[in-house]
Order: sequence, then structure tokens, then C-alpha cells
Amino acid sequence: MSADQNKSIEPDLHAYADGMLDAPARAAVEAYLADNPGAAEEVAGWKRQNESLRVLYDFPAEPVPRRLDVHHIEREIRPATGRSGRMAAAAVLFLTLGAAIGWYGGGRFSTAQPAEIALADEAMKAHRVYSGEVIHPVEVWAGEKAHLKAWLSKRLDRSLAIPDLAASGFTLVGGRLLPSANGPAAQVMYQDETGRRVTLYIVPVKSDREETSFRHAAIGPLEAFVWTDEAISCALVGDVPRDRLLELATLAYKQLE
Amino acid sequence: MSQLMDEIEECVPALRRYARALTHDPDRADDLVQDSLERAIRKRGLWRPSGSVRSWMFRILLNVYRNDLRRQRRSPAPLSLETIPGGDPAGLDVQPGRLALAETARAMQALPLEQREVLLLVAVEEMKYAEAAAILSIPIGTLMSRLARARSTLRDLTQTGTPKLRSVK
Repeated sequence: MSADQNKSIEPDLHAYADGMLDAPARAAVEAYLADNPGAAEEVAGWKRQNESLRVLYDFPAEPVPRRLDVHHIEREIRPATGRSGRMAAAAVLFLTLGAAIGWYGGGRFSTAQPAEIALADEAMKAHRVYSGEVIHPVEVWAGEKAHLKAWLSKRLDRSLAIPDLAASGFTLVGGRLLPSANGPAAQVMYQDETGRRVTLYIVPVKSDREETSFRHAAIGPLEAFVWTDEAISCALVGDVPRDRLLELATLAYKQLE
Repeated sequence: MSQLMDEIEECVPALRRYARALTHDPDRADDLVQDSLERAIRKRGLWRPSGSVRSWMFRILLNVYRNDLRRQRRSPAPLSLETIPGGDPAGLDVQPGRLALAETARAMQALPLEQREVLLLVAVEEMKYAEAAAILSIPIGTLMSRLARARSTLRDLTQTGTPKLRSVK
């Protein structure tokens, strides 16, 4: 057996040790092991490891404590839908982290994660193109909010909420679908009574993105807060003071959860 | 929706086992599972029926765990001998088995997290490689190389005094 052949059979050896091969593949590995006592010894060692780990981490059949009872958790969460209890605590934590990062970061990214930089960049470009638009700032106007929500949810394959930022003085203008590096993205636009606009840019994320706290970015007069939740990444962009934008981002974050 | 709740509930024992194996700390493990369940139930609107609930729950648990680690930067606490299964603690005849398990436990703590995550999904949860790779969001080739490294590190760390034959690779 050459080194190459050894290399190519190694995945099968693992699959054999883990009991994942069908009968013909199993027979082929057994034939190989019969000729290669060293490999046979190693595979036997892996099986012993598996056995030890199963014994070590064997889980006693004890009753599930109440705090891990899903129906109990569901009842606890339901009355708090929206914004009280643990959710508010979580949001405050994000807020504090976000604020600290924003200020101490001196307007730069707290951690230079390429995906977040790319997201902020895309969101700012989209903001520049559409926020100044007078006649066609959006494709679907606020009057058709239910349709906007259904349409964007369908295209992004996520059940999206269209956040209401009226509590912070910004009303919904509408939204549009945009192309992005990760497929369709949504842009939702808001404006205040002076006509100042902020846009919320939403892209679907694959499961490999971990959730993040708010991260802050600024280019020229444009400010952005970027965050990643379970299934979406968001950027809120606007030419508004940073603390004001953070307030809006927090409001949006809570409603998108 | 209640079917989803039932499927989440069925995952709880496996999630607790995995969390205990990752943390070596039953209380902290249950905290992680509780956080994961709360998060899953709050965000069940984001669950897509095209995937498996088990994979989704394990992904959430790993996210919660990694976020928690980042926040606290602590490594697993030592697994005390009292919590290692293996029968009567006073029985001398079970000592070798228990010592070997304690050695395995220590070796697991020394494994890098990315190798530990893989090995536990495969060896303890007995997941298919494709499912484990999907949970960890890594290509299957990466999964295989982490698995191989985990096994070889674990062997090196637990092979005190045992003669060892080595020919694969």
C-alpha cells in the first residue's frame, strides 16, 4: 500500500469505526485491515475511544428539570412576547455592548470581520442610491405593508417583520428587493418629519454566521450599525447622529427577533 | 407549531448530554440548554421545515456555547471523579476503568474546541458525518480531518504506558 492509497482509505476507516458503512464497504475495509495490522490496531483504538466516550458521557435517565421543559418555557415566553423580561435584558446587553464598541472603536469596526464590512458596504451603497430618490425611493410603499412583509419574507426565505420605528420618530416609507453577494436582500426605508431617511438592509445568512452584538461603522457622514441574528444579518444606515441611530437599531432589532 | 414543540422536546436529553460533554459542568450545561430552548422557541418563526429539528437545535446550542465562551473565555472545569460513571466509588476492582475514564475526560478537556465538537457529535451522538458537518457548517472534508486529528490527539494523550503501533499515514 502506498501512502496515497492509505490516505484515500482513511475516511472509510473512520466510517468503519463509527459503524456507518454498508455491508459491501464494510467487507472491503475488513479485507484491507486483514492485510494491514497497523491500521487494524489503529481502528480498534478508535472504537475503544468511542466506547470510552459513550460511557464517560452517558446520560443518566433523570427527569428533565422544569426549567428545561419546553412547554413551560413556551408559557413563560408567550405573555412576554415583544419586549419584557429576558428579551429586554438581552436587548440592553446588546445596547451596552454596541455603545461601548461604537464609542471606543472611534468610528471604526470593533473587529474587522470581512463579512460585516462587506455587509455595511453593501448597505451604505444601497442607501446612497435610493435614499435621495424622490419619485421611486421604494418599490412597495408603506400603504401595502402586509404585502411588503409577505413579499420580502418569501424572497429572503425568512419570516421577516417590518419593524415599526414610529416610537423614535421615523415612519415607514416602504421597501424594495435588491441583489446582494448572498442572493436577494431587502431594503426597508424610513423617514422622519424633516424628510431625513434611514434604511434597514437585511440579508439572509447561512447558519455558519454567529450572532453578534451591534457593530458600528461610519464612512463620511453615513453611520451604520450592523448585527447578525439567528438567520439574518442587518445593517441600519443613515446620516443621523450615532446615538439616535443606535436607538433606532435597537428598536429594529427587538422587532426582528 | 405544537409538532415542532414536540420535536424540540425530544432533543432535550441529547442536547443536555452534548452540553455536559462540551462543558464538563452539569449546571452550566443546563444553562446553555435552557438558553438554547428559549431562543429556539422565541425564534421558531425562523425555523424552516426543510431542515431537521435536531440539527437546528444543535446549531443553536453551539452558537449559544460559543457566544458564552467568547464572553467568558473560560475553559471547561475539570470533571470531578464523583461525576464519572463507573459504579461503586469505593470498589477497588473498578479503579482501572475509572482511572482510564478520568484520563479520557482530562484528554477531552485538552482537545481544541473544534476537534471536541466534532468528536462528540460523531462518537457520542452517533451522527452521520453529513449531519455533523451541516451542524458545524463545515465541509465534510474539514469534518474528516478534524475527526482524524481529534482521535490521534486523544490517543496520544491517553496512551500512557501502552505500547503503540502506528502505521496508517
